[in-house]
Amino acid sequence: MSFEEFKKHSRLYVIGALESEELEEFERARAKFGKKAEDFITECYGLHEAFALSLRPAKSSAAIKERLMAMVREKKGT
Amino acid sequence: MQAIQAEDPDALAQLYDRYNGILKALILRVVHNEAEADDLLQEIFMEIWNQAKNFSAQKGKPLGWMVTLARRRAIDGLRKKQAYARAEERLQNETEQQPDAWVHNATEEEIVLGDTRVLIRKVISGLPPAQQQAIDLAFFQGMSQREIAAKTNTPLGTVKTRLELGLKKIYDGLKELKDEL
Repeated sequence: MSFEEFKKHSRLYVIGALESEELEEFERARAKFGKKAEDFITECYGLHEAFALSLRPAKSSAAIKERLMAMVREKKGT
Repeated sequence: MQAIQAEDPDALAQLYDRYNGILKALILRVVHNEAEADDLLQEIFMEIWNQAKNFSAQKGKPLGWMVTLARRRAIDGLRKKQAYARAEERLQNETEQQPDAWVHNATEEEIVLGDTRVLIRKVISGLPPAQQQAIDLAFFQGMSQREIAAKTNTPLGTVKTRLELGLKKIYDGLKELKDEL
């Protein structure tokens, strides 16, 4: 697999769209290209952020935050 | 994130205030159920608190890490509750009614021009609807290429091409945006 092909696969990989047979080939290429591959994959994860930011924020109830903070403080206190 | 890693609850409260809307929107897009989305949101922020030590700024921004975590949790939740089929049906209805939901969102009046969100939507809405749909099904519903092919009655090779082209355009668009901002 060339690095250009690896880049295509990386973008599919980060959204979980690689099929199992492609995944094996991808992992071999990932090991072959080393740090360059890891850096590109990290960059591709920026797609996740972009997809989330493309949505209009949703409102959640204040009770969620209260429950969350109570759980966190309880956990920290134990 | 450093303060959260140091177990400061107030830092988590601030993080929640800043990002709960984005993460809730993402979860809702996956599970299509308000109550489930609220439960998952709480679980995800708890996981953020518990897993904060695993976050590395060298591997990306906090939001990217949280979105990755939230998406995985939401898709897992969807599958565990065996609501997949129902969500799929709902999604299909929504897709039929609103084939270009991203495009629709991009024209909301309340969105302020110049916002990063608008720019990202502009990139996404510039894609052909078939590419948007393929990416939407893969990212927000966790579908494989084969599942997308079956759902959309499209050859597998076409689905792959749509995903590859669409993702590349978004990736390139984001790079341009980063240069402009």
